[in-house]
Amino acid sequence: MCIDDGLLSSYLDGELSEPYKSQVEEHLSYCTACQNRLEKLKKLDSIIKGVGPSDEELTQRQEQTLSILEKKCFSQKKLGFWRRKLEVSIPSMVTAAAGIIVVFIGSFALFGHSGSNTSDIMPSFSAQAGSENVHLVSTREQGLDAYSLEEIMLYLDSKGYNVDISIKGLKPIE
Amino acid sequence: MEIRSTDQSDFRRVYNECYALLMKICYHIVYNIDIAQDLVQEAFERFYMKNMSFPSDEDAKYWLIRVSKNLALNHVRKNKREINMVEKVKQMPTSSSYVVDGVKELADKETIKEVRAAIEMLPDNLKMVITLKEYGDLDYKAIGKILGISESNVKVRVHRARKKLEELLTKEDGYVY
Repeated sequence: MCIDDGLLSSYLDGELSEPYKSQVEEHLSYCTACQNRLEKLKKLDSIIKGVGPSDEELTQRQEQTLSILEKKCFSQKKLGFWRRKLEVSIPSMVTAAAGIIVVFIGSFALFGHSGSNTSDIMPSFSAQAGSENVHLVSTREQGLDAYSLEEIMLYLDSKGYNVDISIKGLKPIE
Repeated sequence: MEIRSTDQSDFRRVYNECYALLMKICYHIVYNIDIAQDLVQEAFERFYMKNMSFPSDEDAKYWLIRVSKNLALNHVRKNKREINMVEKVKQMPTSSSYVVDGVKELADKETIKEVRAAIEMLPDNLKMVITLKEYGDLDYKAIGKILGISESNVKVRVHRARKKLEELLTKEDGYVY
């Protein structure tokens, strides 16, 4: 019985373990059909393997890439303090941010107690509200007080009202 | 012996050991030597940036293969449309009747094209295994480790891929090697 292709494929790769390996070799020593088959597989393999970039091209690129990588990776240690990459993890950043907020709020809470301190720190914008500072925007007065009694009477008369006027709360002249 | 990816001498040793292999693997995924070079550089940059330690050179190598393989696959996936366009331009009608003749044949552009076309026709699971086997020059165990499959699975896939490639390459204009 001849060797199947699966075994030959493994044999070709040198991956056949011992009892099988010598058996295959023994069979190959006399079976020309299997020898031919193995030769065919070998040739196929070399054709497949032969495709690809040449060795000279690879070595040239190898040096090229190595110099780029060494520049990128290993010369970085000489970088100055300010150009160095700062790596901060997210939890520590959050903690720092929380700390700053606490200090910020705390400063207001502490200084908020005494007005004198606050006015020392904070510029004051409050002006004294006095009559000299306050100017009425509107000078037109709309109230009934703006009209004299006579004008009111005339107005009502023109509209056809009958008006009786009595005066209360006046003390008689003595 | 522990290997640190940020140690310069370790880095350099691993680099010199793996560069050609990674280039070949990437090349046979993206089929463009310049892009392959960029991808391999990216893989080594990650290797350095991650600041990792490996128990042996082999482990570092497997890690690098895995990373650059994935980078290459992602590249292909992302740029599928552009790649197809380039291919259309590239594909000129060619008459493929050539003499089978050892070394000369290997250099033949037609063969490259045909082998590439045949490999591209393979299903993804076979494609990656045969790429790692033929161009990564790795044994079954290493391939299994890199892809996260068993050694015997690798063996079966290599065999199936070869069988398929043989069919594909023989069928095309009756080419018998």
